[in-house]
Amino acid sequence: MGEGRAEILQGTLDLMVLKTLAAMGPLHGYGIARRIEQISEEALLINQGTIYASLVRLLQRGWVSSEWGASENNRKAKFYAITRTGRKQLRTEAENWARISGVVGRVLRITEKG
Amino acid sequence: MFTWMRVLTSRVRGWFSTDRTDREFQKELDEHLEMLTAEGIRRGLPPEEARRAARVRLGGMTQLRETNRDLQGLPFLDTLFQDVRYGLRTMRKSTGFTTVAVLTLALGIGANTAIFSVIHAVLLNPLPYDHPERIVLIWESNPAAGFNQFAVSPPNYADWHRQSTSFEQMASAARGTFNFTGSGEPEQLNGARVAAPFFSVFGVPPALGRTFVAEDDVTGKAHVVVLGHGLWMRRFGGDRNIVGKALTLDGQTYTVIGVMPERFQVPGRVELWLPSEFTPRDLGPGARGAHYLRVLGRLKPGVSIEQSQAEMTGISKGLEVQYPQMQKGWSSLVVSLNEATVGNVRATLLVLFGAVGFLLLIACANVANLLLARAATRQREIAIRTSLGAGRWRIARQLLTESVLLSGMGSALGLLLAEWGVRALQTLPPSNLPRAAEIHVDLTVMGFTAVLAIATGILFGLAPALQDLRSAPAETLKEGGRTASTGRHGVRSFLVVLETTLALVLLIGSGLLLKSFLRLQGVDPGYQAKNLLTANVSLPGSKYATDPQQAQFFDELLSRLQHLPAMQAVGAASSNPLAGQGYNFVFATKELAAVAPTEQPSAGYYGVSPDYFRTLGIPLLNGRTFTPQDTAGGPRVLIISQAVAKQFFRERNPLGQLISIGNTSPEKGQIWREIVGVVGDVKDEGLDAGGSLALYEPYTQMPWSSMTLFVRSGDEPSQLASALRSEVLALDKDQPVAAIATGDELRANAVAQPQLRTLLLAIFAAVALVLAGFGVYGVMSNTVAQRTHEIGVRMALGAQQGSMLRLVVGNGLRLAMIGVVLGTAGGLLLTRLMKGFLFQVTPTDPETFVAVAIFLLLVAFLASYIPARRAMRVDPVVALRYE
Repeated sequence: MGEGRAEILQGTLDLMVLKTLAAMGPLHGYGIARRIEQISEEALLINQGTIYASLVRLLQRGWVSSEWGASENNRKAKFYAITRTGRKQLRTEAENWARISGVVGRVLRITEKG
Repeated sequence: MFTWMRVLTSRVRGWFSTDRTDREFQKELDEHLEMLTAEGIRRGLPPEEARRAARVRLGGMTQLRETNRDLQGLPFLDTLFQDVRYGLRTMRKSTGFTTVAVLTLALGIGANTAIFSVIHAVLLNPLPYDHPERIVLIWESNPAAGFNQFAVSPPNYADWHRQSTSFEQMASAARGTFNFTGSGEPEQLNGARVAAPFFSVFGVPPALGRTFVAEDDVTGKAHVVVLGHGLWMRRFGGDRNIVGKALTLDGQTYTVIGVMPERFQVPGRVELWLPSEFTPRDLGPGARGAHYLRVLGRLKPGVSIEQSQAEMTGISKGLEVQYPQMQKGWSSLVVSLNEATVGNVRATLLVLFGAVGFLLLIACANVANLLLARAATRQREIAIRTSLGAGRWRIARQLLTESVLLSGMGSALGLLLAEWGVRALQTLPPSNLPRAAEIHVDLTVMGFTAVLAIATGILFGLAPALQDLRSAPAETLKEGGRTASTGRHGVRSFLVVLETTLALVLLIGSGLLLKSFLRLQGVDPGYQAKNLLTANVSLPGSKYATDPQQAQFFDELLSRLQHLPAMQAVGAASSNPLAGQGYNFVFATKELAAVAPTEQPSAGYYGVSPDYFRTLGIPLLNGRTFTPQDTAGGPRVLIISQAVAKQFFRERNPLGQLISIGNTSPEKGQIWREIVGVVGDVKDEGLDAGGSLALYEPYTQMPWSSMTLFVRSGDEPSQLASALRSEVLALDKDQPVAAIATGDELRANAVAQPQLRTLLLAIFAAVALVLAGFGVYGVMSNTVAQRTHEIGVRMALGAQQGSMLRLVVGNGLRLAMIGVVLGTAGGLLLTRLMKGFLFQVTPTDPETFVAVAIFLLLVAFLASYIPARRAMRVDPVVALRYE
C-alpha cells in the first residue's frame, strides 16, 4: 500500500515540476523548488532535494532538457527547460489529473453523504 | 512508445559514467545549498543558522546522491556485480566446497546437456528435407502373417501410383549394390534404382546437374546416374565438371547427370541412384508376389497421414478382390518418414532424458545439502550483516547469486563434458543412432544449458536462502553458532531421502536393463562368431550372366581361399545371418502343396557351400551336410533347421521328405528337394527374435550372383582381409569385395542399441549412487560434527562406544530406508515405461528390486559408518572443553 502512495506522489511532483517549467521558462533546481513552495502557499512541505529525482526522471524521458549556466548571483548552476514533447506530455497529464481528481472528488462527496 | 528505451539508454550511459554524474550532482547540490543559505541570510538568520536550516530543507545529502546514482545508473547490475565479486571471494576462501559443488553440478548438467543435444538433433530438429512432415513411407502389410511393414511388389506399386490421389508424388526405390570399376581399386557401392519422382518426394534439388525425368526411366534408353555427395568427393575429388562424364558400373557405361548436395543423406548409406527401369515382366502378373520395393510418397498439402491411410486401405481392398490369389490378407501401411527414421530410438532417448533429469535433481539436492552445511558456518556472518541493516531479501538475493554462480561454473564445465560425450556418441556405428552426424552442442543446446544453470542455481540455492530468511539474527548471535537449528536438520534429512529415492529408481532401471542385456548376451546365436571373417562378393550380371558362370566363380574362389594362412574353414552363403539380412521364401511340404499361396509358411533361405556349416560352427543334428557331389545336375537336396523339423515333421523323421520352395502354383511345376540333413537353429533375425525356420540348399543347384564368404581363422580374423581381397582380384581384377567384417563386430552391432542404453543408464545410475552416498555421508558427518558436544557428554556419562555407533549409523540407515521404500514405489510406477527394452525380464523383476535396494542400503551404511567411527573416537574431555 505504502508503495502505491509513493507512486502517486512521485507522479504528482513530476507533473508540478513540468508545469512550473512550462509557466516560468528555464529554472535551476532551487528555483523550481522555491516556486512550487510559493504556489502551494507552503502547504506542501517537501525536502527540496526530492526535486532532483523528479528532474532525472523527466530528463531521461526527454521531457525536459538541462544546461549549465550562470545563476542570478553569477555562479554556475544547472538550468532546466521543458521540451516540446514535455509540453505535449504536460497537456495529457494535466487532462488525466483533472479527470482523476474530478472522479475522486465526486466519489468522496458521495461517501460523505452516506 | 519508445520512452522506456530512451530511459534505458540514458541509464546505461549514466552507468558507464557514474563518477562524472555523481560529481556533477554534488556540484548541483552544493549550489542549491548556497542558494538556500543565501535565502536564510536574506531573511535575517545568522550565517551558521542559515546553513543548518538550508541543510534541513534540502534533505540528507548522502541519501540524495544515493537515489540519484540509482536513478541515473543500473542499480540492479551494481548489486549483481557486487554480489558476484563477493561470491567469488567466498568461493576462493572455500575451494574444497566449491570444487565439490562445481564438479557435482557439472556431472548433472553435462549429462543433461549431452542427452538434450541428442534429443534436439534426432527428435526435435525436422529432417533436412523440404516440408519433411509430408514425406511418408508406404508399406505392404499382412499382420495375420506377421508382416507389418513389408516391401512392395512392382505391380502393386504401379497400381497404387495410378489409383491414389493423396500424394503429390509417389516413388519406388530398390536398394542394390553396384560394382564400380575404372580408376583405382574396384569398389562395391550401395545404390538404389528409383522411380523418376524420387527426388521430388524429398524436395531436395541437386547440387550439380539434374535429377531423373520420366524419359530417363524407359527401359534400356539411356544409362544415367545421379551421384551422392560422399561418393562424388571420395571417388571423383569433387570434380565440378562431372556432369556428362561417363563411369562404369557392373561393367556397363553410365553418364553422370547430377550430384546431390551434402545434406541429402538417406538411410543405408546409399550414394548412387539409377532409374528404376521396370520391364514389362517386372510389372506383369507374375511379379505381384515379388516384394522388394520401398515406396515413398509426398502428401499433398492439407492431406493427413490418416486420410492417405484410409485411401490406401481402400486401394488395397480393391487389389485384394482383383488378385485374391496373391493379395489375400494384404493391406498397406502409411508411416511418416520421421517416425520410420527415429521412431525406434524415441523411447530410449526419453527414458535417458528422464534419467539425467533425476541425476540433476540428485546433484541439486547434494549441492543444497552442502550449502546448508556451509550456511551453518556462515550463520554468524549473515547475522552480523543483518544486524548492520542488510535487508532479508538483499541477503537472500546475494545467496542466490552465489548459487547461480556455482551452477554457472558447473554448466561451463558441464558443456565441456557434454561436448566430449557427444563426440564419443558419434564414433559409434551409424546403426546405433539415426542422425548421429547431426548431433552438435549448438546455440540451442547452450541456451538449454544456460536455462538449466539458472534454474538449478535457484533450485538448490532456495533452501539455504529461505532458511536464512527465517532465522532470527539475535538468536544466532546468542547461540554462538554452536548448536544446529533443528529446522535446518529437517530440510537436510528430506534432501537425503529425496536423493536416495531418485538414486534407487535409477538403479532399478539400470539393473533391469543390465539383467536383460546379460540375458541377451547369453542367448546362443547358433553359430560361433569368434575368429570369423565375413565379406560380400557381388558379381555383375553383365559379366556373369548365367548360373554356371556364377557358380564357377565361387567354386574357384572357395578353393583358392583354402590356401589362406591360418585358415581353418571357408564357406559361402547367399546371405549373412550375422548381419541380420536374409531372404524369406514361402515353401511347402507334400501335405501343404494344395494350400493357397497366401497361406503357405515361409522360412529363411540360404544357398550355401558344403563347408558353410562347419565354418560357422552350426551343428549337424541329423543326416548329412552337403558335399561336392551335390552338383547342378545331381538330385535336388535340402537341409532344414531343427525348428522346421519340429514344426512341420514333428515326430516323423524328416530325412527323405520332400519340400518345394517358392510360389508353388501347380501349373508352374514344382521342384521337390529331398531333405538330407537337419542342422541347429540360427538366430538370424536378432537375438531377441523367436523362430529360426531356415532352409539350406547347395548354391551349386541354385546359384546366386551375390554371396557372403565366411573364413574361420585360427588367428585374428581381420588379418585375413587383404589376403581375401587379393584372392578375389587375382580371379577377376574388376571384382570388388565389400562389407568386410569380423564375426565379433557383427555380433557387437546386433546388440549395439541395447548395449548403448544399458551402458548410459548404468553410468547415470552409478553417478547417482555416488552422489547419494556423498549426500548421506555429508549429512552424517555434519551431524557428528555438530553433536560432538552432546556425544562427549553422553560418553562422559558412561555411554558405550557401540551405542554411539548405533545411534549415528541408525540415523543414516533410517533415512536411506525411507528412500528405499519411496524409490521402490517409484520404480514400480516408472519401470513400466521400459517394458519395450526388456528381454526375458519383467519390469517388476523382484530379484533386481531387492538386489539394488540392498546395494543402496550398503552404500548408505558405509556412508554413515565412516562419520560414526569418528564420533566414537570423540574424547569426552576435548568435547567438553569446547564449551
